[in-house]
Parts: sequence; C-alpha cells; structure tokens
Amino acid sequence: MGNCCSDVAGGRAAVGGSGAAAGNDAVDHFLKSRGMYGSQMELSFSATNLRDRDVLSKSDPILIGYTKGKDGTLAEVFRTEVILNSLNPTWITKHVITFQFEAVQTLVFHAYDVDTQFHNIDVKMLKLEELQFLGEASCVLSEVVTRPSRSLNLDLLFREDPTMSGNLRHCGQLIVHAEECISSKTTMEMVLRCSDLEHKDLFSKSDPFLLISKIVEVGLPIPVCKTEVLKNDHNPVWKPIYLSIQHVGSKENPLMIECFNFNSSGKHDLIGKVKKSLVELEKLHSNGEGENLFLPTTVGHNHQNKLLKSQLFVDKFSQSSQRTFLDYLAGGCELNFMVAVDFTASNGNPRLPDSLHYLDPSGRLNAYQRAILEVGEVLKFYDSDKRFPAWGFGARPIDGPVSHCFNLNGSNNHCEVDGIQGIMTAYTSALYNVSLAGPTLFGPVISNAALIASQSPANGGKKYFVLLIITDGVVTDLQETKDAIVKASDLPLSILIVGVGGADFKEMEILDADKGERLESSSGRVASRDIVQFLPFRDVQSGEIAVVQALLAELPTQFLSYMRSRDDIQPNI
Amino acid sequence: MDKQGHKASRTIEVTVLSAENLRLDRKSVKKNTYVTARASPLNSGSTKADFEGGSNPSWNEKLTLEMPFQTSFISLEVICKTNSGDRVIGTASLPISDILEDYTPENHLHFLSYRLRDSKGGRNGVINVSARVKMPVDSVCPSVTKNPIGYGCSSSWQQPALGVPVGHQKNYYSGVVTGVPVWS
Repeated sequence: MGNCCSDVAGGRAAVGGSGAAAGNDAVDHFLKSRGMYGSQMELSFSATNLRDRDVLSKSDPILIGYTKGKDGTLAEVFRTEVILNSLNPTWITKHVITFQFEAVQTLVFHAYDVDTQFHNIDVKMLKLEELQFLGEASCVLSEVVTRPSRSLNLDLLFREDPTMSGNLRHCGQLIVHAEECISSKTTMEMVLRCSDLEHKDLFSKSDPFLLISKIVEVGLPIPVCKTEVLKNDHNPVWKPIYLSIQHVGSKENPLMIECFNFNSSGKHDLIGKVKKSLVELEKLHSNGEGENLFLPTTVGHNHQNKLLKSQLFVDKFSQSSQRTFLDYLAGGCELNFMVAVDFTASNGNPRLPDSLHYLDPSGRLNAYQRAILEVGEVLKFYDSDKRFPAWGFGARPIDGPVSHCFNLNGSNNHCEVDGIQGIMTAYTSALYNVSLAGPTLFGPVISNAALIASQSPANGGKKYFVLLIITDGVVTDLQETKDAIVKASDLPLSILIVGVGGADFKEMEILDADKGERLESSSGRVASRDIVQFLPFRDVQSGEIAVVQALLAELPTQFLSYMRSRDDIQPNI
Repeated sequence: MDKQGHKASRTIEVTVLSAENLRLDRKSVKKNTYVTARASPLNSGSTKADFEGGSNPSWNEKLTLEMPFQTSFISLEVICKTNSGDRVIGTASLPISDILEDYTPENHLHFLSYRLRDSKGGRNGVINVSARVKMPVDSVCPSVTKNPIGYGCSSSWQQPALGVPVGHQKNYYSGVVTGVPVWS
C-alpha cells in the first residue's frame, strides 16, 4: 500500500516495460491481482469445547479452511495438522492470506475428527468423507482485522439432519487470530537520480521516469513502483519512492531499474537500465557511488549490454517500520461510510424502465442500488455503529424548493439510517417522495460531509470518513466542487464518485488527481492530498475488476496519508 | 499588549514542509532555496537553505509568528540564493481563515498547500506547510472546541440545522461549549 504514484498525468501513464505501452490501470490490476498492494496476514487457530466423537478417548481434530467465491463456491486453502485427544486444540499450522481491503474475503472453516486408522496418513491425502464432521464456522477477514485484539470467536455449528435447513446446533467455538507479517511494515525510502542521460527527443531534452520491477524466476519482471516524469531533464532527481519489503520479496531480490523517456503515445523509449538489489542500492548510497546504466543491444545473434556513461545514484536510502492500515484499525480507528445520490431529472422518469432510477419489480438492482450495495458491503465492517449519513441532491422534496442536499430518510433533523439496508430503503422511499430536478451540484453535499469529518479531530481523531457520490452527469458547479474538495483535503475524508449511465465523464476525471495535476481552488490553495476516486460504472460492469475493487483500492493509501501526517511529523526545530 | 493587558495578536506556528516543481529562468532549481514567512512587515521568519532537494526541496522547519488580529494572511516567499544575490522564485498567501476553520479544534494541525506565483504571476510550483494556532498555556479552557453544530440537512440546502435529536447522534463531537475562553 505504499507504492508511489505520480502527480502528473504523464507519470500516471508512464508504465511499460522495455518500451512497450501499458496503461496504468492494467499495471495496477496486475499488481493487485498478485496481492502486491495488500498486507500479508498470518492466521492461527484454536478451538474450545469441541464435540467428542470418540468412545474411549477424546476427538482428534483437524481444521480445514476454504475461501468462498462470489458465487458461493468453496475453494480449499489449507489444512492444519491433527491434534490428538483434545477438545480444546491449538493448531500449530498457520495460514498466510493477503488482506485485500477492497474485497469481501469470506472464509469458511470445517472441523473434523480424524479416526486413529488415518493418523499416519499425510493430512493432504485425507478423504473428507471418511472423517467425522465436528462443525463449521465462517467469517469475513475484515471482521478479524477490525477487532482490537485481532481475534474473533466464532460459533462452530453442526446440522443434526443434513437434509433439513434448520436444526443447527452449537458445538464449541473456533478462535481465529490474525497477525500482520513484519514484511508488510518494513518500508524503504529512496531518492534516486540519474546523471548525463542521453537525448531521446529530437528538439528537446528527454522526459525521464524510472520503472522498478521485481525479477522473478519465470516470466517477465513484475512492476512494483514508478517515479513521476521529469520534463526536459538530463540530470533528474526524482521525488522519494517507497518500497515495502513485501513488494520486492526480500532485500536480496534483484530489481530491474529501467529509465524511460516518456512519450504521450505510450511507447516510451528505454534510455538505460540497472539491475540491483536493495542491499546493493544501499551500498551505492553509503559509498556515494553511481552505477552505469546499460542498454541491451543485439549484434547479429549476440545479445550484448552496451555500457552507457549515464549513471544512477541513490541520494537517500532509509529503512523504517511504519504503522500500517491494519495497525490503525487495531488501535480503534474506523471508516465511517456516507452516501449521496443524484436525483436530477437527467436520470429519467423513475417509473419508466429506461430510467437509471427504475425500480425493477423483478428485484433486479439498478446502477444506483448496485453501487450503494457493493461499496457499502465492503465498508460496513469498518464502522462500529453501522449508522450511515445518506443524502440526495438535485431534487424537489414535496412542497419545497429544489434541494442540493436533503436527507434521504425524509427527516428534517437527522441524516443517518441503520445499516446498508437502511440506505436502500431510504433511497427507494425517496424516489416516491421527491420530484427529479437539477442542476447537478456537488458543493453542498461535499461541504456537509466535510462538516461531519471536521468533528473527528475534536474526538481523538479516530474516525475517517468515506463519502460515496453516485451521479449520472457532469457536475455543473465544477469550480465550487474543486474548492470544496481542496478545503476537505485537510480533513479525514475521502470521496468516491461513481458515474452511472452513458454520459461523457471526461470532465469529472479532473477531480481525480490520479489522472491529472493536484486540484487547485479559486483562491490558489492546492489539495494537500488526493482524496477523490472517480470511476464510470460502465468501465467495470463487464470487466473482471469489480467496481468496488477499482474504487476502493486507493482508500487505505488515502487513509494512511492523513493518519501518518498527524502521527509522524516531527519538524526540525 | 493593550492597556488592559490583553494580547493584540495570536501566535501561529507554521512548519514549512516542502515545495515541488520549482523553476528559475525556466530551468529546474538545483539547490539553495529557503522560505520566508511574513505575518507583518516587522514579524517574519525564515528557514535554513535546502541544499539537496533541488526543484523539490524540503525544510521541515517550524517558524513561530505573532500575528496581529487585524492581519488576514501570512505571506510565503520561496527564495533562491544565487551568485547574483537572492531571487524570489514564487510567493503564496496563507489566509488565516484556512487555519481557523469553523469546526475543527482551535489548535488543530492543518496541512495546507498553495500555488506559488512568480513575479509575472505565472504558476511556479507548490509549497506545502502545516500550521496551527498556538494555544496559550494559561488559557482558562484550553481544550474547548468551537461550538459544534448538527449535521442533518434540512429539506432545502442551507447551513445544516442546529441541534441533532438525541439518539441520532454519532458522537462526532463531545459536549457543548458553555462559555467563551478568556485569555489572560
């Protein structure tokens, strides 16, 4: 979660190994799909008061763990060892899992009693139908990591009659404990620079950036980090980059550091490269030496490396152990979910099937409902009271003028509803109680969310707020929205914007600093951090990345950028 | 101090953190940049020069300024030491209203960034600072936050309605201010 990202559009696009073009989203997905952005969690297990299935002795329990897919299918991920004669076992086998904030990771556990005749068989070879079932339990990984103790007690349940849907009987407890692997916490900060880079552009100097990749035994190097693009610079000094040990495997793992000349076409020219491990980079720093870049060349059938006069220097190299997202959660921090729904007339008449607000009698969810449900289902685990502020904007409540921030539950006094289902119910009833109007203004809802977020520091600063805005059109008050976002960037708040329908959302991408420069207000104040994530819903509807994952992936980083700045800043006085 | 012994100014702590993308004569700045923060003609402070950061210098240096109550902003100047003398790279204004936000605690640490403008008004990088009002040690009620307000929206947009019905409060704030702190 500590990857560096550029502030400039060029830097965001600046990814592609060996000169090949590659979009940033593709690389981000590539990294995420391999757990590069998650934290490694080590799960350990114990149980109490298990059923005794043996006549002359106690049960010999084994625990088998599964992950549950969206379609409900179970995939086995681990088996513990067998503990002999124990109704209160503590298993030694640990299961390492990558915690992915943006996904709901459901775990299912089955406990079995292993008969004596199978004790000499490797646990992987045991046939489950030959074992005696002791009970099952399930949880979501988020439930474990949000506990202050990172321990969760689960009831083991046993169905007396497998053919009946009811008849569940308690038969002991399973305790799941999670520890974050130390590699997730150890971070390297490096300042890299190059000297005497070669000209690659015809009429100007090169626009260099670095791409750092992990070299793996099989296949192409895996990109783990990139710098920003520096325009017209032959002796570039890039902003600090941060790598966790987890990203690179170990300090001894070789890394490929490639220097590219940025081209807006996406076909970036390779200027030169260096192959070094973190240990070797640290040595370069301590010795104050540079390493010559090389360029792979082919002469006939011979592959040679042409040594260049350009050099890579490590101006800073420091290692630190930082508090992680999960550390803050264990310390009592919460993410509080808020939602704002667009009720402007451009959504279409809610009673007609072509409306974005159409409530399908068959129960099929519309885009607004799906966005609320998918984001809410992830975030609800991080909010202790599960009461969520919910607003609408751009509509005319009964007997009133057009409102750009009204309470979805119809109340004049309070805006909170109970649970995700409460939001869904309030949304449905609002559709019957307001008439759609316009224009599309974000300023009021962002200001209201910022007002709530501004209360957090007065209460120990343990709450961080996430506002989901779902809209069908381009915002009308763009400058006011920018001003509100810039002001809110100093608060414990992130804003997720989901664009639904077929509108051209190009303008909205300006609000997401991933895709351009830092936002600037009309007064010249600049957003102190990136707090907005924008995503058109159609981008992900048919793709393999769920809307939630694409939207929520940056939240831990945004959360950390706020929390760490409050924790760690120790000025030199 | 005025005749009654009241302070005519407030103390502001500005930590000058860093700057980004500084240019001088259309070239990236290499080194020797420092920042001067000015609350009034007679009240200013400067950081040490940064020798390593080039066009992205960092200072992490705290400056304490006495700010007269009638002053509405702090002026920030990024200056580069050159062979031909000190040259202003860019200036920015830090409005006091950005530090005295309506609903955050009085001494809340704000992280703020501002666009730097050169002498011709052109954009020239960004400066990052943190700032807070330094609370008097002997204030009567130092931990009091400003009067908190309810956060429900009324049916038409306006400042959120005062007061939140009991039982609907998420404890975003604690207590109600019952008096105004008096500075001795």
